[in-house]
Amino acid sequence: MKFADVLASLIHDMKNSLGLVINTLEEFTADPEDARLDRKRIVALQQEAKRLNNHLIELLTLYKIENERISPHIEEWNVGDFLEELVIENRASAEAKKVQLEYSSDPELYGYFDEGLIRGVINNLLGNGLRYTSSRLLVSGGQEKGFLVLRVEDDGEGFPTEMLDVQAGGCQSDETTGEHTHLGLYFAGLVASMHRNKDRQGHISLSNGHTLGGGCFSLWLP
Amino acid sequence: MKKRPPVNFRTSDLEKKSFLIIDDFGDMRGMIKGMLQGIGVTRLDVAANGKDAVGAMEAKRYDFILCDYNLGPGKNGQQVLEEARYRNLIGLGSVFIMITAENTLDMVMGAVEYEPDSYLTKPFTKDLLRVRLNKMVEKKNNLQDVERAVDRKDFEVALVLLDKKIAGKPRNLRELIKLKAELCFRAGDYQQAATILEGIIAEREMSWALLGLGKVHCAREDYEKARALFEKLLLQNERFTSAYDWLARTLQMLDRYEDAQEVLEKAVTLSPNAILRQQALGLLAIKNQDEETASKALAKAVKLGRHSVYKHPSVNASLAKIRVRMGAGREGMKILKNMLSEFPDSKEASLYAAMAECVIHSDAGDKDAAEASLQRSAELHEQIGLDAGPEAALEMVRVCDKLGDSDKAKNLLHTVVINNHSDDRLLRDVGKLMIELGLHSDPESYIEGIHKEVVNINNQGVELAKSGRLKQALDHFEEAAQGMPANKVVNLNAARVLIMNMKENGVGRGQLGRVKQYLERVRKLDDEDPGLRRVHAMYRQLSLQS
Repeated sequence: MKFADVLASLIHDMKNSLGLVINTLEEFTADPEDARLDRKRIVALQQEAKRLNNHLIELLTLYKIENERISPHIEEWNVGDFLEELVIENRASAEAKKVQLEYSSDPELYGYFDEGLIRGVINNLLGNGLRYTSSRLLVSGGQEKGFLVLRVEDDGEGFPTEMLDVQAGGCQSDETTGEHTHLGLYFAGLVASMHRNKDRQGHISLSNGHTLGGGCFSLWLP
Repeated sequence: MKKRPPVNFRTSDLEKKSFLIIDDFGDMRGMIKGMLQGIGVTRLDVAANGKDAVGAMEAKRYDFILCDYNLGPGKNGQQVLEEARYRNLIGLGSVFIMITAENTLDMVMGAVEYEPDSYLTKPFTKDLLRVRLNKMVEKKNNLQDVERAVDRKDFEVALVLLDKKIAGKPRNLRELIKLKAELCFRAGDYQQAATILEGIIAEREMSWALLGLGKVHCAREDYEKARALFEKLLLQNERFTSAYDWLARTLQMLDRYEDAQEVLEKAVTLSPNAILRQQALGLLAIKNQDEETASKALAKAVKLGRHSVYKHPSVNASLAKIRVRMGAGREGMKILKNMLSEFPDSKEASLYAAMAECVIHSDAGDKDAAEASLQRSAELHEQIGLDAGPEAALEMVRVCDKLGDSDKAKNLLHTVVINNHSDDRLLRDVGKLMIELGLHSDPESYIEGIHKEVVNINNQGVELAKSGRLKQALDHFEEAAQGMPANKVVNLNAARVLIMNMKENGVGRGQLGRVKQYLERVRKLDDEDPGLRRVHAMYRQLSLQS
């Protein structure tokens, strides 16, 4: 995927979000009698606004990676603390969709990563997860094969087979179906691969039916 | 996998704390205020710009400062942080949280001296703010005793406290080890700092550990090793700007001034708003006789200085001289005029202005005006005395030499060298200046000669004290301290022998006062001098006993 394609795809998605926001607001303002604002629609607004914000951060990051050859600013983070914050940030959206959002990690687990970059990736994954899960969403941290593994998994239908295939091809597909999800993959893969330690490099992997039975996205950081 | 129970702090933990919100947008201030009140915070002030924020911090100690990075015209968030920490408006126990609009990478990397305790990226929710604040309280509470000791510059005690915590293998063990390495470095225990940092690097080449180890090599004057480390660090992460600063410093110690300039120029393109870096580049470019670069960097430094605690009249004066030399005479004089209104009532600024005027008049062939400026410079320099620092003295040397008074120039140089015989960096500059002005055929052996002289004086005194002739040792060092009032080693030795004498022959009020005086002199020169802390501990012990 080239930066220009990413850009077009992101703009497309953000335009959709904005369209939704504008329409909902129009509905509100068109009917002066509707003083009691519908909570459900407000939550929808909030979600679209968050989505927009995540995309803008993503876009900015991609721009920087492309143009300024940024190197990640690796620091040591307590994984539990980090995941707790992410869950709190997304709690309101999850409650509105009646999704049980949780995190789990050994409180003593420390990881080495660029906090800003990984936060962006996980926020996107949680946003997507909230769309596709049926009732639960879990973000977890653990140590496997010498890597820090951050997982976002749900109890939904799981990833379609063609997406599981895409990862084998290294996110190079330019299929038009499910474009946005591929974009998320591209971004996550790019950020993961920017993390290196000695001769090892970060990567992502997709699978179905981990502990919750649905889709499971794993971020492997050396 | 274990799940950690949520951190539930008593609300009173935050309720008791005082907060300052700094943001130029009223809506944003209102929103953060609302969030904090929702969390239970009651003691809360707001400021709309950097100036008001500093005013608020001058009037009151805050536990938490939430500051937006962008504050419109005037100081930015980083400059507010610098001023607050530099002037001790907030203690180490206070929490400074920088609020930023987006990915903060560039700003984190651009900072030279101070980093905030935490960053918050907009937009954030009340829940996130609460969790973050509680974590910071927990962290600060945990380190309160250590930070109090660090505030007093009592690193030995801080390290003992820290070791006790480390022995308990707490959750934040690695954070504590990082702090320990830093404190060992500041305490002058380079061996231990190196051991800790090397251990970390063997596991993972963390940027901060590589930088820290490089600084240790620098402190041990192992410049080649330091250079290799800084270069390696930059190869891994070319945007790690503080590594450029240290690499440039190291290259200068290796006499590679032009390479050093190149390094700083690169850092300045990456992060142009660090005032200390622009100052360093400007001064280096002057040494390299690159007027174009010097002028650009100094102009930027002066501009950044308007809102910074790091502004210094010597920078403005250097810019004025350069501009005049480049043919912009009127602009140069205007810079000097502006400088005097920027540093009102500052004798130091008047001194630098007079010295610069002297050079400018002299270059213009106006001998009378130059003589008058020299007269004024000399008077001011005399009045300010030692507080003017060796840099001002070296500038005086230049001025005196220019007006043909090479005897005065040589006298001044001698004073600088005897008072700073252990400062390699400064002595290098002295040597360079002597060559430039042709003041001595062999500056190196001249400086070496004086260095040996001072070392001998110290050794003689120490020998006298060791052999029990305390009275003679005392006279010896007090006389030496009179002749070299800004020499750290001599002043510390004078204080040390006074203390030994009082231990032997009883404490006298007058002698205690003199010890305090000597220590005060050293503190003014370098308040983190390891020797100062040792002698100060002896002094404290003695005054407690009496």
